[in-house]
Amino acid sequence: MATDFWASSHYTRWIVDRATLKQARADDSAYVPEPEYLDFLTIYFANLITKLGKKLQFRQRVVATATVFFRRFYLKNSYCETDPYLVISACCYVAAKAEESPVHIKNVVTESRSVFGQAPYNVKHFPSDNSKLAEMEFYLVDDLECDLVVFHPYRTLLALCKKDSSMSPGGGNSDMPTQEAEAGELGTGIGAEDGPRFWGTGEGKLELSEVALQTAWFIINDTYRSELCLLYPPHLIAITAIYLTLVLHTPTQNSIAHLLPHSSAFNSDIPIASESPQAIPQPRRSSRSSDPSSKQTQQDPISFLADLNVSLSAISTIAQEIISMYSLWNRYKEDPTAEETRNSNMGPSMGSGSPASHTSQAGVGQRSGSTPLGNTPGSVGEGGTDDSANQPNNPWPFGQGRVVTAMFLSSMLNSMREARMSDMAHPSSGRPVVVNRMLERTG
Amino acid sequence: MHVDTSPDPMRIYRAKRDASHVYVKSKYNILGFISSGTYGRVYKAEDASGNLHAIKKFKPDKEGDVVTYTGISQSAIREIALNREISHENIVSLKEVILEDKSIYMVFEYAEHDFLQLIHHHSQTLRCPISIPVLKSLIYQLLNGLVYLHSAHILHRDLKPANILITSKGQVKIGDLGLARLSAQPLQPLFAGDKVVVTIWYRAPELLLGAKHYNNSIDCWAVACVLAELASRRPIFKGEEAKPDSKKNLPFQRDQLLKIFEVLGSPNEKDWPSMTHLPEYTSLKRLDPCPNRLFDWCQSCLRSQAGYDLLRQLFVYDPDRRLSAREALGHAWFKEDPLPTTNAFASVNSNQIPPHRRITQDDAPSMSMTIPFQPGQSGNAVLSGSSQQAQVQAKSGHSHHTGTNGSLGDVGHGTTKIRKKPRLG
Repeated sequence: MATDFWASSHYTRWIVDRATLKQARADDSAYVPEPEYLDFLTIYFANLITKLGKKLQFRQRVVATATVFFRRFYLKNSYCETDPYLVISACCYVAAKAEESPVHIKNVVTESRSVFGQAPYNVKHFPSDNSKLAEMEFYLVDDLECDLVVFHPYRTLLALCKKDSSMSPGGGNSDMPTQEAEAGELGTGIGAEDGPRFWGTGEGKLELSEVALQTAWFIINDTYRSELCLLYPPHLIAITAIYLTLVLHTPTQNSIAHLLPHSSAFNSDIPIASESPQAIPQPRRSSRSSDPSSKQTQQDPISFLADLNVSLSAISTIAQEIISMYSLWNRYKEDPTAEETRNSNMGPSMGSGSPASHTSQAGVGQRSGSTPLGNTPGSVGEGGTDDSANQPNNPWPFGQGRVVTAMFLSSMLNSMREARMSDMAHPSSGRPVVVNRMLERTG
Repeated sequence: MHVDTSPDPMRIYRAKRDASHVYVKSKYNILGFISSGTYGRVYKAEDASGNLHAIKKFKPDKEGDVVTYTGISQSAIREIALNREISHENIVSLKEVILEDKSIYMVFEYAEHDFLQLIHHHSQTLRCPISIPVLKSLIYQLLNGLVYLHSAHILHRDLKPANILITSKGQVKIGDLGLARLSAQPLQPLFAGDKVVVTIWYRAPELLLGAKHYNNSIDCWAVACVLAELASRRPIFKGEEAKPDSKKNLPFQRDQLLKIFEVLGSPNEKDWPSMTHLPEYTSLKRLDPCPNRLFDWCQSCLRSQAGYDLLRQLFVYDPDRRLSAREALGHAWFKEDPLPTTNAFASVNSNQIPPHRRITQDDAPSMSMTIPFQPGQSGNAVLSGSSQQAQVQAKSGHSHHTGTNGSLGDVGHGTTKIRKKPRLG
């Protein structure tokens, strides 16, 4: 939001390649039974940050900034050598200040203890005095190299798209500015000066229905459950979210169908469709589809996307990443006891979702709606009594395609750290040399 | 219940980090203390290659108390975050930040002078006006830096002579982004974070009238005040600040507004239609009307029609009609002789340039020079004694030294004056 994105610390110092990401997890990968668990941890931590952020009444952008701080911190550090829960608290504490909506350190400590102390996390060691968090803040800011201004895709979304005013006005997520004036403040591009690297067309905005705009917004929320924010500039993520909305969101798809030269070809273009077939609802007529008169002013979305000065192959790669994150997320369970509640919410909501009832991306990963908010009454106590997943000696309870629970990941984190500590303390002990499965696989 | 007996989970991390830490004192030689404020203290320091720096140490030491981590202040976070994103010849550049021993050290490039010091030098020592070529160059560079900040959506919110620095090469450097904020996409209104912004004498009328929404134009008002102060060597609107009452209600800044109206005349609804919506509008209406006498004021100080016009347009009451920094930079005044120069002191005899910044030994324990300063490095010499001191005292008053002037017995110098290589005129 500051300055010129291309000159920002975000772009110049914090967009990394995949090799760097992999290297950052090298130590951790030695302590997890399957490399895949590291991807689950990525979701797990993002959910935790969201959960703590909700407790602290953060706006979505503060949560997003905290998540980016967390990802950046773990570019340089290992889960097994740190206390990720304390790091999460510090990320939230600093993000609130960086986004000019500070919260008192005492609140952060109190809420952190309350969130992390419960099942499925059961963290007992979270410090109760402020100074431990403040000390972590120092280390964190130092590891972040004092780069605290973060750009997010939301800004691009609102710069590129506008709400189709003829469709369902009012309501909406409080985090999503719906007023034209507010979006107008964003200017046309990321940069202060629209130089040669300006990526937009500079003319016109894509008109989307409120539901569609919200869906794109929720997809962006969900991307923080991946490491995309370290790999790609935010505007590419935003454009991908728009693309996925156009492709996957049934009402939107229906409403734009007549604008597309050959919509079936458009669909078969989706490179990811086969990966996750059940995730993509069949197009069907929705009762919510807009009345035809409102479509006359709509811009052809294909030419809109094509005219953007961005690499479409990058967009397609990001789209694949998002879809595979969703399919991973489908196998992740925050709280096993909340499953019934969640299942009742499941369904092809991409086609029928009402915007107000979903707090996150509708459809592919329904958990986005239920998990961050999943404080189902009673579930805490029940989860806490379920020790089966808490046994360190438990055989890993699932293979490919099986479900991974937050409780399992919590105890795995503990085991990782204990193993690391004992390796560091007794390097020449009888403990077998840990095998780096990540390297084994790729080697 | 599972009792946690495991060691500190951050142990490995902490050990690694502490082992790789580079200490302030291992990298910088602290030459002396420059000034202090609510944020902390500023020191003059040099690195191994002899480059000078100003090190801002946040939070004053709690002498006697045990210092604990209390969380980084919003102001420090702002200053750090914004400084990391920006880079401009007319903005003080942040070299690095060192987080050490519960304190934050921000290492800035060093600037020998500031606007306030220059004003004092002319009013107290030289007893003559700041020449137009110098004045114009300073304002031009100030606006140049401000255009950059505003284009990056940064409001400075505390422009005043003490915060605008000048290097020994006559280059203006806007400093102190501790109150600065991003204006694009605020999650909260600007008002919500800081109820009061800008030092009272430089505060724009809309702020004085309680506006909760404001923009870049408050900085432009401050520039106009600074321009006027450079021209007359005294603050143009030197009002008395009304202090908040016990319930922290913001008072009506009657005196400050009167000081403004005495020069610019009372505002009216025709020139400033939106003023009727401001919270203090009714209080304003009770003030006696004044005529505008800015033109007369300029006759004695600025003596240029174009200069008067620039000032007049920056002093427009309606923030929406006030000249922007970019418009000001393109103003005719900067295109007429004398033209602004990159070295603001280009036209000045070296004996007219203000003396170097005064530094003293610090009385705070943490940055005190436990090892006596080693003279002789990079041509510098430590001098002590009354003859130097007298010279330095001449330009007193510019620093914000609020601490006691206690000296360290061990070191033995009440005041340390650093003499540098001769400047180029």
